[in-house]
Amino acid sequence: MNRLGAIALGAAAILAIVAPFFLRRYGIYLISMWAVLTIAAIGLNLTLGYAGQVSLAQGAFVGIGAYTVALLTQAGWPYPAAFVCAGALCFAIGWLLGYPALRVQHHYLAFVTLAFTTLVFLVLRNEEWLTNGIYGITGTERPVLFGWSTGSALDFYFFCLGMLAVMAAATWWMLRSPWGRAFLALRENPLRALSLGLDTRRYTLMAFAIGSSLGGMAGALYAPLVQFIEPNSFGLGMSFNLLLMVIVGGSGYFFGPFIGALVAVLLPEWTRFTEGYYLLLYAALVMALMAFCPSGLLGLIERVSKVMTRRAPPPSELRSEGTNP
Amino acid sequence: MSAVLEVSNLRKSFGGITAVNDVSFDVREGEILGIIGPNGSGKSTLFNCVLGQLLPNAGEVRVDGKPTTGMRPCDLNRLGVSRTFQLLQVFPQLSVRDNLILAGQEHRGSMLSRLFGKSDAGLGDAARKMIDFFQLSHLADEQAGALSYGQQKLLDAAMAFMAGSRLVLLDEPAGGVNLTMLAHLRERLRAYHAERRATFVVIEHQMEFVMALCTRVLVLAEGRIIAQGAPQDIRRDPAVIEAYLGGQSA
Repeated sequence: MNRLGAIALGAAAILAIVAPFFLRRYGIYLISMWAVLTIAAIGLNLTLGYAGQVSLAQGAFVGIGAYTVALLTQAGWPYPAAFVCAGALCFAIGWLLGYPALRVQHHYLAFVTLAFTTLVFLVLRNEEWLTNGIYGITGTERPVLFGWSTGSALDFYFFCLGMLAVMAAATWWMLRSPWGRAFLALRENPLRALSLGLDTRRYTLMAFAIGSSLGGMAGALYAPLVQFIEPNSFGLGMSFNLLLMVIVGGSGYFFGPFIGALVAVLLPEWTRFTEGYYLLLYAALVMALMAFCPSGLLGLIERVSKVMTRRAPPPSELRSEGTNP
Repeated sequence: MSAVLEVSNLRKSFGGITAVNDVSFDVREGEILGIIGPNGSGKSTLFNCVLGQLLPNAGEVRVDGKPTTGMRPCDLNRLGVSRTFQLLQVFPQLSVRDNLILAGQEHRGSMLSRLFGKSDAGLGDAARKMIDFFQLSHLADEQAGALSYGQQKLLDAAMAFMAGSRLVLLDEPAGGVNLTMLAHLRERLRAYHAERRATFVVIEHQMEFVMALCTRVLVLAEGRIIAQGAPQDIRRDPAVIEAYLGGQSA
């Protein structure tokens, strides 16, 4: 990260800490939702942006995580244990969902994961004995951690922000390890990766499992945030919305999901001044962004920065041998 | 010298076309074997069968005496077998250094230990040495996609050597490379061979490159071996001249 990037990151972190003190309850709810959905989008960015595996199932994993926490805490489990269970369950299911990715790719894989999302939705809606069906589950308690109650909107926002910081740091650390390089190789050229000794099967499954686990942990925060979960919240709409966040922010850019989630959560609110037209305006803005900047907002920033540094000399050829291919 | 690679009665068909037909040969330790033949003679299919990219219909492949027929390419790589492809296969978004580290990292520890280990998998020095060896030092931090075609070919070859493989199969390493860079590539391959005593199998159309680099040449035509021997003998072999050079003497 260059100096300018570090300054921008520091400023964003300060803003994230200070902003809720100037917001009302609904504003704090919105930025809490941003933090939660950013975690889910980071997971999808890992699966799609880094490892190149198309997934339309991230919303379903948020749902699985949310229902796991809601059911377990109501059964008397402590929140931290329920949170870990949500992540572990989604890791296991994500690993299994990765198997189709070993056989099919691209839009075929998208349809497999889309079918999985529909399957999860149907289970959440129809298995009333477990999920309470269309009536949903209300009143998931916000946790008390080491004597700190996160019951208020402000406290829960800082809890979500802290979890986002932890998840982001863990993902950053993983992407800087040889695994990150392996995920990129999987995306760029799986055939060559295989010939270099990368077990592409394991890395594909791992990309799905970790990405899904992050989705599940986002769900584990979602349930106590909204305090009412029902199947429709975790249908295809949420999966597409998370995909939109990754693409708009910049797929394969670490900070893409942060910016994408900001756009997806806040832009509809900022366009509310148009009253009945706000969703139309939001859709038009997203279409324009995708048409003129398919690599997302961070891709646009990178392009602009490259244009500005174009004067730098290109990489020179092999001088020592006097070659000029 | 013992055989590093043994191929016995290998056959591969695609529908009604037999691309590789009852091919048998072996490669001895430290040898540089060239495989030549006209387009469509089955060279790349043979490579892909040997390297686990394709499953042969019949025959057997052994590496160091161990049966490897149908083994996955990643498992073969861990046995010490590397390859390059006919078309460039570097990772354009990674730097030259990261391409090389990637090429060696899966040989370092377990998958879990790599997650908790160093970012460069402890290969920083090895990558630097390989970069120096292939004289790419001034490009070490450049994205591979920004390099010229010839430089990418050098990097592609360097990646195949990064894991310290004993057997390296190079599929048209000289393809599309200009004469100056070709001489550089040949000199680097020779130097690597001299230094490490690695065993090479090279598919190539560029006859001068093959004749200057290889210690033995094997000629394929229509999926069969029609000749093998020392480069100077192959030049004079009437069957080779007929099949490969279209009936005109070299």
